[in-house]
This record gives sequence, C-alpha cells and structure tokens, in this order.
Amino acid sequence: MKTPLLPSPKSSTSQAGLARGLFFTCLTGMLLLVGWWSYSVIKASSSPQATSTLVPSTAASNAARLAKPILTSSQNPTQLDQGALVYWGVCMACHGDRGEGLTNEWRAVFGEDQNCWTSKCHAPNHPPQGFVIPRDRLPPAVTGPGKLTRFNTAQELYDYIVVTMPWWNPGSLTPEKAWALTAYILKLNGSLPQGIVLDATDASAIPVHHLVTASQNDQTGELVLTALLVLVAVVMILQTTTKRKAAVALSGEAISLDAPVSARSRPNFLHHLHPPTIPAPQARWRYTLGTGGLAVFLSLVLLVTGILEMFYYVPQSDRATISIQTIAHFVPYGGLIRNLHYWGAQALVVVLFIHLLRIAMTGAYKQPRRFNYLLGLALLVLTLALDFTGYILRWDQGTSWALVVGTNLIKTIPGIGNQLFEFVIGGEQLGSAALIRFYSWHTFGLTLAMIIAVIWHIFRIRRDGGIAVPPPTLRQSDERISRFELVRREMLLMTIAAIALVLLSIFWPAPITPPLTNTTADLSNARAPWFFLWVQQLLKLGDPFLLGVVVPLIILVILILIPYIFPKPSDSELGRWFPKGGRVVQILITILTLFLISLTIWAILPAP
Amino acid sequence: MNKPSISRRDFLKLTLDSLLAFGGLLGLGGLIRFLSYKTEPPQPTEFDLGLAENYKPDSVTTFPEIPAALFHRDGGFTALSLVCTHLGCTVEVQLDGFACPCHGSLFNSSGYPVKGPAVAPLKTFRVEQTTDGKLILHTK
Repeated sequence: MKTPLLPSPKSSTSQAGLARGLFFTCLTGMLLLVGWWSYSVIKASSSPQATSTLVPSTAASNAARLAKPILTSSQNPTQLDQGALVYWGVCMACHGDRGEGLTNEWRAVFGEDQNCWTSKCHAPNHPPQGFVIPRDRLPPAVTGPGKLTRFNTAQELYDYIVVTMPWWNPGSLTPEKAWALTAYILKLNGSLPQGIVLDATDASAIPVHHLVTASQNDQTGELVLTALLVLVAVVMILQTTTKRKAAVALSGEAISLDAPVSARSRPNFLHHLHPPTIPAPQARWRYTLGTGGLAVFLSLVLLVTGILEMFYYVPQSDRATISIQTIAHFVPYGGLIRNLHYWGAQALVVVLFIHLLRIAMTGAYKQPRRFNYLLGLALLVLTLALDFTGYILRWDQGTSWALVVGTNLIKTIPGIGNQLFEFVIGGEQLGSAALIRFYSWHTFGLTLAMIIAVIWHIFRIRRDGGIAVPPPTLRQSDERISRFELVRREMLLMTIAAIALVLLSIFWPAPITPPLTNTTADLSNARAPWFFLWVQQLLKLGDPFLLGVVVPLIILVILILIPYIFPKPSDSELGRWFPKGGRVVQILITILTLFLISLTIWAILPAP
Repeated sequence: MNKPSISRRDFLKLTLDSLLAFGGLLGLGGLIRFLSYKTEPPQPTEFDLGLAENYKPDSVTTFPEIPAALFHRDGGFTALSLVCTHLGCTVEVQLDGFACPCHGSLFNSSGYPVKGPAVAPLKTFRVEQTTDGKLILHTK
C-alpha cells in the first residue's frame, strides 16, 4: 500500500500550534476589547460638554456673558465667527448666551430687559419693532442633551431656522447667515465636524445630535487593529521557525492512516475544507505567487465590508452620496470599513490580473484545467462589473461621466443597443431607477454569481488535481504537507494582506465628491476609474462601438481561445515558469499587457 | 419494421432537454420583461426660459438644469444642445466653440466637430418666442 504517510508528531505539533493560535486569538480579542473600551472612555471624557459649568453670577461675569463675541479674524471672519455674531445679535436675547433658552437665570443676567412681560421690551405696548413672546411656549434651549430633538440633520435645522426665525421677523435671515447660525448651533452642541463650512452640500449628512460616540477620528482604534495584526503575523512567523526545527528532529517516525485519531488532533471546519495532505511541491510560493488565495481573501473582505456598508447606504439618487458621507465621517469605524471595501476592490483587480498572468505564463490553462481557466475569466469579468457598479453607487460628481459614457456605450451596439440601454438603466434617462438597478446588481445579482463562481473555481482546483502541477523533477517526491500547514500558510498570507489593506485604508481614504444633481457637473473630473482608463483612451481615437465595445470583446475572446487554438506546453514542461511549448501564448499575453498598460499610461499623461 | 435512427431513450432525453431549454427561455423572457418596466417619468422636452429681453444681444447663455446653450445673434434666438454626440458627456462652452471633457472632441461655435472622436454636429434646438415675449426651448 503506497499510502502517503504523515509523520504524526508533525500533526500534533500543528495541533499545539493551533491551540497556541487560539490562545493568541483570544488574547487578541481581549486586547481589542480593552483597547476599544479605553478608547471610548477617553473619547467620552474629551468630548465637548454642552452644559457649561455655572459661574457665580457677578456683575463682571455677567457683562462678559453679554459681550460681543471675539472673532478669530476680523478681516476674514470664518463661518463660525459669522454664526456667533448672528447668534449674539439676533438670538441671544431669547435663547441665552449658551443656548440655554429663556431661563430665569438668563433673564436675571440680561439686565434691563430681564422681565420680558412687564418691561417695554416684549410687551404689546412696545414700539413698532416689538413683538410678543408667547407665554405658553418659552424660547427653548438650543443646546444640551435632549434639546432640538425634532431635528435629525443640520439640513432640517437650517430649514426650520431660515423659515421661522427670528421670532419677530421670520425669514429675514439670508441663507448665508442662516447657514452660519446653523453651524454655530451645531458647534455649541459639539456636533459640528472640524474644518467644515456648512452648506447644502453635506448638511443632510451631518447629524444635529452626537448619537455616535466616535466620529471621524477612529485612528486610535485603527492603529490598535494594525498593531494586533502585526503581532499575529509575527507570532505566526515565529511559530513556523520553531516548528520546522521540531519537525526535523522528529522526522522518521511515521504512523499509518489507520491509527486512531485522538480528539486532540481532530481537524476543525476550516481544516476540513482542505484535503488531509497535499504534495509539498504543489504549494510553492514562487510558482503560485499565492494570488488565488489572496483573491479569495480579498473577496471575503469585500463581502463582509460590503454587507456592513449596506446597513447605512441609501440607493436613492438624492441620498446616496450623503449616506456614504455618513458612513465615512460619522459611523464609528465607518471610514475604515468603506476604505477597506475600496482598497479591497482595487487590490482584487490587480491580484486577479497577476493571477491571470501567472496562469498564462506557466501554461496552467491546459486540460484538465481548461474549464477552471474559463471560470476564472468569468470571475475576472464579474469583478470588473462589480467594480464598475460599485463605483457608480457613489453617485457623486466624480462618477457622473463614467456613468454617462458607460451606459451610452451600450447604446452604440447596433440593433439591440437601445433596448439593452433601457434594460440596464431602467428608463430613458439616468436617474433613481438606474441607481437602484446598479445597487441591486452590485449587492445581489453580481455578488451571487460571484460567490457561486468562486466556490466552483475552488472546487475544480481539487478535482483537477490540486493547486498546481509540480515540476517533473519533484513529481516523484513523497514529501507532503498537512492541511494544518496549508491553513497556516493561508492565514499568514491573509494576515499580511490585511495589514497592507488596513494601512492603505488609514492613510489613503476612498474618494468621495459632492453629490450628483441635475444642476451640478464637475467638468474638470472626466477621468474613468483607473481600471477602465484604457477604454477611455481608446474611445478618444474614434468610433465608440468599434473601440469601446468590439475591442474589449476581442480581448476577452482571445483570452477565452487561449486553451483552444494555440500550441500548448507538453505535460513534462508543466510546473515551471515560461514553458517552451507555450511561447505563442506568452508572447501574445505580453503584447496584450503592454497594450493595456501603455493605453492606461497614455490616458494618465496630461493631454498635449 | 425499420430500425429507428434514434433510440427511444435518446429521443426521450432529447425531448426532455428541449422542453427544459424551452422552459428556461420562457423564464428568461419573463425575467427580461419584468426588469424592463420604466418607473421614471419621461424628461420634459419644453423649457420656459423667461422673458426674451433678459438675454442681451450677441450673448451666449447656459442653464444649470438644461444641457443647452442659448444664442442671441443677429436679433434672433437659436439654441445648441450641449450633449456631446460621441458618448453623451456635457461639453464646455469655450470662446470659439465647445470642448468635451471626456474624450477630447472639439466643436466650433456653430456646433460642427473640428477635432476628436465625435463625427456628428451638436443638435440644434428650436427656440419659440411667444406673443407675451417669453422664450420656450424645445429639446425634441
């Protein structure tokens, strides 16, 4: 019986390693919890308090409370300066210097007009400019917890102020003043994002109340996460080196597969997804580049972060961009999640392209792997479709031309173009219907197809004889690696990829521009997403159907035909880079790659 | 009795397969019909541009909500569509014509392409002057 023998000590070391891994995972989790807790505590203690401490009432302090606000710059007042001035001049008499409302305490401070019902100030016998304060509805507080509860967003607050305030002359505030005032009130409530000039662009994304604990600044948590990932990677690498020594020392002892499996060495679910052992020469980094596993990991990251984004994203043309801004700026760790989704998607295109190059340059498309090669191409097309639909979901000014051009390209197809166009965008004009369609395709239709194709792709790897064919010299080798080792390698790759993704996400946030409306069009930003820059450059050269539809289709058809019409490497050549028998395909793929890359560079270069 | 050219089993299998394919096509047709309903109202094709006297002679006016430019030349009003005839981006109004930001097409001031992938001239729109001095732009 030529059963591949597995040295049992190796497996038990793996088990010990797994236990240690579990221990470290728990430790990591606990550290993460502690870090998050202390972060929240620090955050809460440093967040601005809406209710200021009561100063003992003295004449001097009262005069200071009534003084004109000090501007940061008298020549060039900021929006908050203007807001403070408007508040001081118009609102303070009734709503108090700190926005506390018309309290008895405030009336005492306000001096000669303190008794608003008996003096000449607000009584009916006041000179023409006067007005009556309703006694049953006192001017309310505008700051503090539990106040302004009927307003959710800055936009709602603005809409109310600009129509109903000030009490004696509603609607007299100019939009500019009303925005400044809204910004000032948000500032008093501690809910104005730093460095923002408030206007209609993103007022609907800015909540009046700070319901979320950590806004914008999640860096502490992100850095803790990075540190933990690095720790895990280091521990895993250390584990490898120690385990290699142990394995060498104990090699030679072997057990048959009939030996009873102890409960301790029973593989878990993750291990069960893998074969018990595989020939060691199949899994060589230098040959596979690990791109397949990396692509699966990135897809998982995209799936999870995408699901999280769905909890906040609103697929409605007037809300979409704002909801993304809410995710990016307000939801705790929302910025991180969105950036991970963005960078995961960018990385997936690159990784898939390298994966394809690897397959083409090693002749791995040959039977019996031909069908899996086709599945892989389908996955590439699906990924590009998902990337494009996801890009469109931003629905901001940066994506508008890509949407217009991408959909108008469909129209150029002779015969069925117009029907297909209307089918894709759900109408004759780009609008909410188009957005919902893109959303449904992105979050469900294409994703479902992708999940099925990924599972099929992985299943076929095993059916077609493993990860990769070893080179002829190593094919007779008896050396095998266990599923534990395989999972460990995958985990290491994933951890390193995760570190890269998190770092990218922290330092280079995903782009977002002002919302797309009927009236705005940012003409300066007419560049396609980077993975379609080559199409954009082609389109500059002439007929849109020929260059924008036919040429990409020809490229796809060439890729599909690779395992069918071109000479293939012989079996004895497989397992090494650049086998002689596959020269034609290698040259073809090189030309194709250079073609795409030079078009992309041409598109990036500034026009002469 | 002649030997049938196709066995009973093969015949049944073929029949079953064709029925399945037919059913699948029917389902696909239904799906396409389902997905083809248009929920959005059609875009308006007439725009009220206000009083004609608001537009100075020899002026070019663009509107934020209508991709069109209104010309007041030689005492008359004409309008050009600002939608690029190549792939539909909105062209920028320049001193001596129009430039498309997406693929670099250039049009002269009467809307004829002078450079770039676009081959068709920009569409002209009809401008109607009502009896009470208002301008109506027809985009169809």
